[in-house]
Amino acid sequence: MFEIVSNWVAAFLTLCIFSFLYKDNPFYRFAEYLFVGVTAGYTIPLTWEQAFIPYVYRPLFLQHKFVLLIPAIIGILYIFTFNRKLNWLSRFPIAFGMGIVGMGVPLSMHASVLVQMHGAMIPIENINTLLVFIGTVTILLYFYFSKAHTGTYGKVVKIGIWYMMIGFGASFGYTVMARISLLIGRIQFLVADVLHIIK
Amino acid sequence: MNLFERLQKLDRRWIFLVVAVAIILPLIFPFNSKTYTTDPTEKLYRLIDSYAPGPHEKAIEKDKAVLMVFTHDASTMPELFPMEVAILRHCFERKIKVFTMTFIPSAAPIMDYAINTVKEEFPEIKSGEHYVNFGYKIGALALPIVLGMGEDIAEAVDIDAEGRKVSSLPIMKNVKNYNEMNLIMDFSGSSAGGMWITYARSKYGANVGVGVTAVMAADEYPYLQTGQITGMLAGLKGAAEYEKLVDVFASNPDPAKREFSRELLKDPKWDDAITNQNIQYKFKQARIGMNAQSVAHIMIIVFILIGNIGYFITKYKQKQQG
Amino acid sequence: MKRTLPLAIVIILGFLFVGYVFVPHKISQDFYDWYMEWMKAMSPFGVILGIMSITMTHTARIQHKVPNWQYSIVTLIAMIFTAYAGFQWGTQEGTPYMWLFKNVQMPMGATMFSLLAFYIASASYKAFRARSAEATVLLLAAIIVMLGQVPIGVSMFGEGINDITQWILNVPNLASKRGIALGVGLGMVATSLRILLGIERTYLGGGE
Repeated sequence: MFEIVSNWVAAFLTLCIFSFLYKDNPFYRFAEYLFVGVTAGYTIPLTWEQAFIPYVYRPLFLQHKFVLLIPAIIGILYIFTFNRKLNWLSRFPIAFGMGIVGMGVPLSMHASVLVQMHGAMIPIENINTLLVFIGTVTILLYFYFSKAHTGTYGKVVKIGIWYMMIGFGASFGYTVMARISLLIGRIQFLVADVLHIIK
Repeated sequence: MNLFERLQKLDRRWIFLVVAVAIILPLIFPFNSKTYTTDPTEKLYRLIDSYAPGPHEKAIEKDKAVLMVFTHDASTMPELFPMEVAILRHCFERKIKVFTMTFIPSAAPIMDYAINTVKEEFPEIKSGEHYVNFGYKIGALALPIVLGMGEDIAEAVDIDAEGRKVSSLPIMKNVKNYNEMNLIMDFSGSSAGGMWITYARSKYGANVGVGVTAVMAADEYPYLQTGQITGMLAGLKGAAEYEKLVDVFASNPDPAKREFSRELLKDPKWDDAITNQNIQYKFKQARIGMNAQSVAHIMIIVFILIGNIGYFITKYKQKQQG
Repeated sequence: MKRTLPLAIVIILGFLFVGYVFVPHKISQDFYDWYMEWMKAMSPFGVILGIMSITMTHTARIQHKVPNWQYSIVTLIAMIFTAYAGFQWGTQEGTPYMWLFKNVQMPMGATMFSLLAFYIASASYKAFRARSAEATVLLLAAIIVMLGQVPIGVSMFGEGINDITQWILNVPNLASKRGIALGVGLGMVATSLRILLGIERTYLGGGE
């Protein structure tokens, strides 16, 4: 019985959101504001249990690692973001977090650039690998905006544009599939779990 | 105003109604349709299947394992949940060791739900022995855990979702780091596998597979080609493909037919899954959804064609008048 | 001082992390462990920022009686009650907190996203026009990929459509995404270097 009531609550809220498709109305607004509130409230106990207790409370008060008072105080400085006079204090926790960008430089250079370049340098054994090579080079040339895209250079770059159009077309096709899938999921919930029309 | 001009000015709420009907009807009146599997899905399936213990091997002694990372929230569940269920079902059928974890708080209940959904059908599967849910780990710890698991998983993760020390669990007997937990499956609605490719694969050589929403699938092909991603499940279609592979092989009642074979895959008897009452709804959800997907795609294509025909006719008429 | 000190922290830590990647000595591992321990202690406080922002925004809306201010009361009550439920009755399965998440937050979040399907259908009808050769190529590629992904497409046009779709994805799409990925990767490295060298300072915010 409880599960039936829960499903109907979820179904009611789902239909409130769908009602926006007809026009904006109080049911939709109520659901929207409720969603924001519940989402915000959800993170508070979770952060308390999963982050504050194991990484701040326990080390400080049970294990007596008092040096961790320093990062805890630096973390508290976040709240000064909203104070016009003291918001410079909030730069310290941000700066500490940004430090890890140093690790990102060599590692993303490797993963995003070098490996991709290595992958592009394949032997041109057939028409497909030739097409991939031409496409990659012409697109990279397209993104070089320091030279005007005119004359022969412009014609070469045009090939890159055609490749990108096909790529964006493929992405659009997949995007349609993704969005429809999300709707199918909700309809499946309404039809299967709430109305039990399909089992 | 002629027909095409009126069609151009159609209130979009009529379009919304057509979309709703196009999706509801195939779900209420299911029909069988053939699912064609693609190379990225098959590669992934075969890699995971290779982790299964042999006929004379004890499952607990096997040293290979899969890590499933849930990096999404409820909004992308319709695409990602069926593939998570399919992979868990595969692992439980073939007694493949599987770990689950997430760095997103809202994914923790989804993880529990996926495990419980599949576990219902496998009463012999025990937590701590065949699978472990590492639970939610705070986002700030993602990188230390990703890197730490390259050295020692039990030390990096420390405790599981049930509060047990990971090092004390029987499943960890022959599993120390990425050498054993060799495949990481990242289910994500954005930046699929990014952190795992950059750190776990680059530094420790772990295999990375991704389950992505269809929006991201096209962007992952360069990583597939370079081998940075071993396999990919793309949206609802990827989930439907994996469901079919699990039906055909992993849960085949004949143990001799559990190895991947293209001949068995082509057998038309596997195309009636949707109306087959022996296959539970939860294990064919994606395939049922693909029916509605089919109708919706045709509908969108028709919309594009009608819109463009109307546009060109209207433009031609205006040119003639002007 | 107010900008210089945080900048110095980023630069020093950044270079130490570059060292960590290339230097396998125990010292660099100790540095990494120290940094992570401090990050773990700092991280819970970031949530306070989000909660404060929501509370301040909605309280201001109620105080100034802006249009639809009554709904802000719903937000604040929902937030307070959900948090209270989590602390009072726990966050495990079967508690009011998890009930709220599973039957309120999850369905509404999923439904918000699913509205996009309607808008994409409407956009397909009203906005996607083959106004130029490039747009036509884009639409044709999209149509082929859409047909190739679904069983009906294969039934109508044969398995060839599947092969054409895979070719589009494995050849022109791959080249396109690789070119874009290389550009984005180089951009990411450049931005990270700019942050590392203190040239990029937007993360410090405005003011003195």
